[in-house]
Amino acid sequence: MISFGHVNKYYGDFHVLKDIDLTIKTGEVVVIIGPSGSGKSTLLRCINRLETITDGSLTVKDVHLNDKKTDINKVRRKIGMVFQHFNLYPHKTVLENIMLAPINALGISKEEAKKTAEFYLDKVGIPDKATSFPSQLSGGQQQRVAIARGLAMKPEIMLFDEPTSALDPEMVGEVLDVMKALAEEGMTMVVVTHEMGFAKEVGDRIVFIDQGKILEEAAPVEFFENPKEERAQVFLSRILNH
Amino acid sequence: MDFLGAFTPDNLIFLLKGFYVTLKVAFISIIFSFIIGGALGTIRFTKIPIVSNIAAVLVETIRNLPLLLIILFTYFALPEIGINLGITVSAIVALTIFESAMLAEIVRGGLISIEKGQMEAARSSGLSYIQALRLVILPQALRRMVPNLVSQFISLLKDTSLAVVIALPELLHHAKIIQAQELSYVIPIFLLIALMYFVVNFALSLIAKRLELKSA
Repeated sequence: MISFGHVNKYYGDFHVLKDIDLTIKTGEVVVIIGPSGSGKSTLLRCINRLETITDGSLTVKDVHLNDKKTDINKVRRKIGMVFQHFNLYPHKTVLENIMLAPINALGISKEEAKKTAEFYLDKVGIPDKATSFPSQLSGGQQQRVAIARGLAMKPEIMLFDEPTSALDPEMVGEVLDVMKALAEEGMTMVVVTHEMGFAKEVGDRIVFIDQGKILEEAAPVEFFENPKEERAQVFLSRILNH
Repeated sequence: MDFLGAFTPDNLIFLLKGFYVTLKVAFISIIFSFIIGGALGTIRFTKIPIVSNIAAVLVETIRNLPLLLIILFTYFALPEIGINLGITVSAIVALTIFESAMLAEIVRGGLISIEKGQMEAARSSGLSYIQALRLVILPQALRRMVPNLVSQFISLLKDTSLAVVIALPELLHHAKIIQAQELSYVIPIFLLIALMYFVVNFALSLIAKRLELKSA
């Protein structure tokens, strides 16, 4: 589904991603963890070309993202993205937020878009907030709307960029629950997160990244119980024993 | 001072005629400069190579010239190269050129003020850059611009008085004609036209406040 081959990325002289090789299969839930500034968000954002890669090859559904001929809008319609700060459109209602891309990017009718939007709003558990504005919602509700907004495009991949990092602790659970349900339905997901419980329980594979390099890739049980890399061990002991 | 003598029906009608020209020239200039300024500001914001640079050079050049110079240039210099616009059109063209540059910066500032995540969310959902701009960024930016836009419109309305130098028959020009006939009318007439400018501009600021409250 997603394939990185020897991907490098520089910001000027700064080498953000170093020789990344990573393949993500359909239906897989891959959790990317690592210290802040390690490049994990950048790695995620390359998948829908919010960041461009400097060299190497990156394909999504066998389409080369760094090929000039690639219609990136077409690729992005298949990839939903959820951001740390939700990024809902404040001037639109919840329903309008969810309907915007299906109507304007997919060209489906308003009635159909509304039906789809209501369906996914129901799915994330807040059907009663359809006519609210984002500013009237809690962080957890906003993030669930953002997930519904991504799902309304009927994507094949969902990207999550620290989806619970900006939330009050008591709202983290409701967002993780939605993501868990999504994973159980077989959605291909790439998740950058600090929620180790989620990573352990829902992830099919953990990718540990530090200083732009993938240092370890393993199944959750293996990674958490027996991390091979020393840096992963240090990272885990810091995160788990506080 | 001769208040009662100054406010004869003839004088009042003459002033109102001047005020009508002021409002007309201001209104037309506002419309044109909003369209042109909006386009220039948006183009400059997009950072499309060359096009965006041209917009930047235009805006920066015009913004740093005195409006009076542009008015005089339009009326006195353009005929020398065969472009004869007449008084009213010259005034409108000069005001439009100057205010477009001012508005372009307001529009660009409004666009820049929208969080980067909005564009990222819109683009990552598969919308094109133009769609994202039109559906997500511009509507939000416009709301934030309202106070600055209105204050620029007020400036423009007041700046129409500069066209007195090319004898545009606007409010100030008509006031001066009346005052030239009778020296004791100077203060009453000035006070009256000051009141006329004030009422219209103050009304505009009140409308702006209303709009601000609504969008907040």
